[in-house]
Amino acid sequence: MDILNAIVALSNFVLVPAIAYGSQLALGALGVTLIYGILRFSNFAHGDTMAFGTMVVVLFTWWFQSMGITLGPLPTALLALPFGIIACAALVIGTDRIVYRFYREQKAKPVILVIVSMGVMFIMNGLVRFIIGPNDQRFADGERFIISARDFKQMTGLHEGLAIKTTQGITVITAVVVVALLFWFLNRTRTGKSMRAYSDNEDLALLSGINPERVVLYTWLIVAALATVAGTLYGLDKTFKPFTYFQLLLPIFAAAIVGGLGSPLGAIAGGFVIAFSEVTITYAWKKVLVYLLPDNLDPEGLVQLLSTDYKFAVSFAILVIVLLFKPTGLFKGKSV
Amino acid sequence: MTNNPYQNDRGNKDRTITKDGGGTMNTATGTDHEMNTENAFLIGDSMTGGYGKTGPDILHDCTIAVNKGEIAVIVGPNGAGKSTAMKATFGMLHLREGSVRLDGQDITDLSPQARVAQGMGFVPQTSNIFTSMTVQENLEMGAFIRTDDFSDTMAQVYDLFPILKDKRYQAAGELSGGQRQQVAVGRALMTRPKVLLLDEPTAGVSPIVMDELFDRIIEVARTGIPILMVEQNARQALEIADKGYVLVQGANAHTGTGKELLADPEVRQSFLGG
Repeated sequence: MDILNAIVALSNFVLVPAIAYGSQLALGALGVTLIYGILRFSNFAHGDTMAFGTMVVVLFTWWFQSMGITLGPLPTALLALPFGIIACAALVIGTDRIVYRFYREQKAKPVILVIVSMGVMFIMNGLVRFIIGPNDQRFADGERFIISARDFKQMTGLHEGLAIKTTQGITVITAVVVVALLFWFLNRTRTGKSMRAYSDNEDLALLSGINPERVVLYTWLIVAALATVAGTLYGLDKTFKPFTYFQLLLPIFAAAIVGGLGSPLGAIAGGFVIAFSEVTITYAWKKVLVYLLPDNLDPEGLVQLLSTDYKFAVSFAILVIVLLFKPTGLFKGKSV
Repeated sequence: MTNNPYQNDRGNKDRTITKDGGGTMNTATGTDHEMNTENAFLIGDSMTGGYGKTGPDILHDCTIAVNKGEIAVIVGPNGAGKSTAMKATFGMLHLREGSVRLDGQDITDLSPQARVAQGMGFVPQTSNIFTSMTVQENLEMGAFIRTDDFSDTMAQVYDLFPILKDKRYQAAGELSGGQRQQVAVGRALMTRPKVLLLDEPTAGVSPIVMDELFDRIIEVARTGIPILMVEQNARQALEIADKGYVLVQGANAHTGTGKELLADPEVRQSFLGG
């Protein structure tokens, strides 16, 4: 029995990665849930919106790096982030003017908008690959670790090391700041309240003199910012590859639905539920169990429930279970 | 045939006004009381129309009006077009004939939102509050079109509905039926409307709560806001009404003061249960 080493191993391989991944999913799911709550359709193009914003950030990062501008220990991408957000906002607002507004004026059913968003998804998908190519791109720079495994072992004298990557730290801090800003905006400002009012009761919002086009514009701006931040954080943590962002759509939607579509708080909770389930189910528990169990009970295999290749199956399974037993999600969102 | 030139009917051969046996044209006897529609603050005048451009007519030459400082009530059997008539004055109906005037101004072609800006407050029958928002936020949203400081109006609303002040930080969706209606009326009052339209404010609340709501509505009217109201509970509504309209099949059937209608044997028999 070695509880201390077990906790460190668990933190290193499960808790820290899952918290970082959960923050990224939560930011992505917030964007999906805002679109669902206010524009009333599931935006399948969200993953590729993230990819587009991140791509612009990557390009600007390279440009800054070539000019020798860096942020020292922090990744240069943080400096490029505002430019990515502006470009992404221009893209989604342009898309809204050209595509979605037409269907809004026709009062098209949500299912039609979903299919339309799939079309938009393929176009954005192609656009990103056309500009930056389909391959992996690395753009993280600066200090790699806040604490490396070796330093941690030296500091504590434990067998197990705990590594916290700079990108993981930045992910969590950025996510907290962004979520705090978003909630402040939605709950405290007049525009934010009008967005919630529009999401709650469209007719009454119209009666109260709330301009729907304004609300839609602000929603896209916020969604562009959220998508770019989420995409950049994910890209810093792993790498940027357009196809991965398309695949991210599934856990993001699962997170939004598990939390309850249309509920920002639910999106955050859902993000962490999905991230923790994915990581715990695909983690080989042997190391932790060896520390916890008596010697004669040591597991022989890896004690890994599912190979990491199947991690999307986990979000799918959770999605199905939630839709079967609690269609409105954990935080009483709208049923799908 | 006489020689009297005055008795020969040459020069007037129009038989339509010289029917044998005397004329049939009668003088109007009047309504025996003042109608004052020219002074009406809000009037939907001879409205004919239905939902959508192609929908069938629901209203047929229907007129409803409310004067300054009065409560006007629309009553009638189910499906008589009571709510429809009120929605027509608020611009939610396609009018083929007739006009709507507010304070002497023709507002027939304005959208509902524009009418709110002109000073009309409307409380729909259902979904009339933002359930996920707090009571205070509901009131703030009511004042959305105002750019000036509305804290004094909010204080007035809280004076009018003290229970809302206690619950101002609670989500409006968690309140009871009667309290929700108070939130709905309070929200509409936040624009400082010149006239208030209430669509069945007492629908689905218990009789005790209903009495309280009627008291509150009278209090709102006492602050000088004319109220046009559709009511299911005809008797109680007519008791507080300065003017009542009984609609049948989208047309005016009886019009009068609340007391007159309550005393009218025909109205009593048809709509008030004897």
